[in-house]
Amino acid sequence: MPAEAAPPPRRAASAGVAEAVGAPAVAMAATFLAFGAAVREAGLPIGWALAASWGVYGMPGQIVLVQHATAGAAGVLPAVLGAVAVNARFLPMAIALAPMLAAPRRPRAWSLLGAPFVAITPWAAAMRALPGIAPPGRLPWFLGFGLTSWLIAGAAAAAGHAVAGLLDPATRAALVFANPLYFALLLAADLGRPGVRGALLGGALAAPLALALPAAWGLLAAGLAGGTTAFLLGRGTRRRG
Amino acid sequence: MADADLALLLTALACLALRIAGLAVAGALRPDHPFVAWAAAVAQATLAAFVVLAVAAPSGALAALPLAARIAALAAGLIGYAAFGRRLLPALLVGLAALVLLRAV
Repeated sequence: MPAEAAPPPRRAASAGVAEAVGAPAVAMAATFLAFGAAVREAGLPIGWALAASWGVYGMPGQIVLVQHATAGAAGVLPAVLGAVAVNARFLPMAIALAPMLAAPRRPRAWSLLGAPFVAITPWAAAMRALPGIAPPGRLPWFLGFGLTSWLIAGAAAAAGHAVAGLLDPATRAALVFANPLYFALLLAADLGRPGVRGALLGGALAAPLALALPAAWGLLAAGLAGGTTAFLLGRGTRRRG
Repeated sequence: MADADLALLLTALACLALRIAGLAVAGALRPDHPFVAWAAAVAQATLAAFVVLAVAAPSGALAALPLAARIAALAAGLIGYAAFGRRLLPALLVGLAALVLLRAV
């Protein structure tokens, strides 16, 4: 067995850190910079920007919270429901990730250490990288990647709050676009993987569904419809093959 | 506690609960279990739908960018991805550079 097939946990964690400081860091920093500026514009303090970035750590939900921030007491429930609904993908993402974070001879509860970092960027990176890492190194890799991008996100949000005045709306929009652009590149990379291709096409085709539904639920509905269809078609194909 | 703080606290707790529930429920399953495969398909489809909507029909700050600029930035990023040996960082920078250049003209 080659030596690199089973890296010690610390080396796996370092590999996760190294992976997180490239393109994921640029995409994440740009988006959270814009978020910090939006928080400042809503009249909320820098601590709120940090707490939202680190506590929610899912950009669509954070944006819903900021948009409702000035609505007062009547806005609390719609804000929470809307933010949780647009971030509901955390549940299927965590389910898909969970089996990979487990390792023989380690209590399963350890995997819960990764919970705060279940978000699109660490998740997408983990789904690509973890199958190539021996099981004992997978959780350390994920914690290394997750903690690094989490810290970068918070730092960028604080910086964005501080320099909000320098960012005009067009610049802010360009910063926000770094996020979907990065995800689009990830998807382009994943289109070559036969098991993933169907789900990506299903989601893309189901996207118009989101426009017909209330904003908070549209994305979830499109993902459920496109993903479930792709899953069922994939199973049918395998059975016949 | 201010209303915005309360909304933030409740949202953060609910999001953490979703993450922990997913990890706890599926931690004992094999990666090729149908339930895990279905959840992965839903998560991947959600991500694809998010990208399509962000480029084709965005809301919020992204709507300030013209459709042509969004599509050109995406195309430049994908071309950069192919040109730079499927490396993400140069591709991302090419896409963002295209967006900035288009805004300047």
